[in-house]
Amino acid sequence: MSNLVAPSRDLWSYARIWPGLAKWSGWGLLILIYAPLAWLALLSFSTRPLSGIPYPLSLTNYAALVHTPGWTGPFLISLGIALLVGLITAVIACFVGRAIPRSPRAGTIVLIALLPLFIPGVSLGAALFIFLRVLLGLNLGYWSIMLGHVIWSFPFALIIVLVLTTRFDHRLLEAASDLGAGPWRRFWDIEFPLLRPAIIGAGLFGFLLSFNEVQRSIFLRGTATTMPIWNWTMASSQQSQIPIIFSLATVILAVVLPLLCLVFWFIFVRIEKGR
Amino acid sequence: MMRNLTQRLNLGDGRWALPCFIGVWSLLVIAPLVVLIVFSFFQTQYFMTVYKPSLYTWNDLFSSGRFEVTLRTLRIALTVTLIDLAIGFPFALWLAKGKTSRTVQAIALALLTIPFFIDLSSRIIVWRPILDEHGLINNFLLATHIASAPQHWLLYTEWPVHFVMVISNFPMMVLPIYMAINVIDDTLIAACQDLGGSPFRVLRDIILPLSLPGILGGIVFTLGSALAAWVEPSMLGGGFVDVLSNSISSAYSALRVPMVAALSTFVVVLLALLLLILTLAMRRFVRFGEVFRSMKS
Repeated sequence: MSNLVAPSRDLWSYARIWPGLAKWSGWGLLILIYAPLAWLALLSFSTRPLSGIPYPLSLTNYAALVHTPGWTGPFLISLGIALLVGLITAVIACFVGRAIPRSPRAGTIVLIALLPLFIPGVSLGAALFIFLRVLLGLNLGYWSIMLGHVIWSFPFALIIVLVLTTRFDHRLLEAASDLGAGPWRRFWDIEFPLLRPAIIGAGLFGFLLSFNEVQRSIFLRGTATTMPIWNWTMASSQQSQIPIIFSLATVILAVVLPLLCLVFWFIFVRIEKGR
Repeated sequence: MMRNLTQRLNLGDGRWALPCFIGVWSLLVIAPLVVLIVFSFFQTQYFMTVYKPSLYTWNDLFSSGRFEVTLRTLRIALTVTLIDLAIGFPFALWLAKGKTSRTVQAIALALLTIPFFIDLSSRIIVWRPILDEHGLINNFLLATHIASAPQHWLLYTEWPVHFVMVISNFPMMVLPIYMAINVIDDTLIAACQDLGGSPFRVLRDIILPLSLPGILGGIVFTLGSALAAWVEPSMLGGGFVDVLSNSISSAYSALRVPMVAALSTFVVVLLALLLLILTLAMRRFVRFGEVFRSMKS
């Protein structure tokens, strides 16, 4: 059907093996991402997780987790920081994302806004540390961790919002104002409902990126500790704490993974319906 | 009428957001980066930062055996990026144009995005009991008599660092390339095929040039994260794989601020340099203006 002219050259590229190879090597790497997570969950039930063999099974690590008080504080702090970062990121991304398509210098502004994506986390963390702590002499703490997280997650949020705002039909707003709607009315009744999926997506990205951020937090923490920092210090220093980390990571995965699946199902079904 | 006009100009279109944003962003992102570069020209004496411009720290950076560390970091980062590109580009192509159903696409995209939201240290520490001397793979090898003794090179060498970095950076390579390939017009591909173009010609003349922005994006994200990686080298390298990020964290804990600044600047400069070389090399084959023009239409 598609080959009106008989193929004469590059016969090797017609081979069926290429799409198959592309497909299965990619899925193979995806399996290598997820299989260790399953293994982690299995090992968390083992009495000696570091032995590498999940036998005999028991709940001792979970009992130890319940009796280890250290992780609840960082967990709640991470949760709080992530919620605030998600909210702040969504609001800023919404307003900046609305204004960019109307600006004559949209390209430059987007490039500047996406800058943190291209700066490795260690470098940005160090830059903010030197700027805030050494130069300005401020006391670092939760606020600076939050600041670093907003800077890190904003580019992602902006991209999501821009996908919708660049396609936004501004005649809708003109129609609304011709019918006598004020600026806030136009925003709440027309623009916001149409942009809502992107704004929610931006907030979720902010929340999830912040909840797992460690590279920038280490520089910006001051004396504060978040969940990923706690995990990192436990994992890199004390071997005896590792069984607890396994069970803690499993608990967090058991909460986060279904949530994420729900979010993605929601997003894709919504996009599918919106088409 | 007059009121309507002023509203449209001021509050209504939200144009005020941009100057505010640019102001705050220059203060919080651009100013720290400038300060970072400036601080790399200061030096540390007796645990104090001496605010006198000099090239002392930069000299120190290149003379104190860090050159070897830089080369190792570059080698690992480039190897990881190349492997990810070699596996990621075909996979993205299959995902976007391989007659894949929308459900499979959605599942693959979700699976590629979820790892961004899972704590890196717990994702990586689980490789220890798998690759360990008494771990899963060694137990398997011994039980099936493939190997007669535990394989020690599986953990705490450069090998597991490469291996796990390829895995954890894979989504960063695939997602930008997928987005670029996904917007390529199917009729272009069909036209090329109708004119007798082989799959290889379609790939070389249509998909490769049009997806270059995505490929560049994927390379930048993967390379940037690989150049600055510290979780994989420190958890799986066992102190034998010394990379730039280790130098940064040791300088940070010694409070040698100018050294932290110089090393961090160096990582950014390295990334920018590699990107520049790549862009110049690709410019010979593709004209970027045309790529962006065709993407817009």
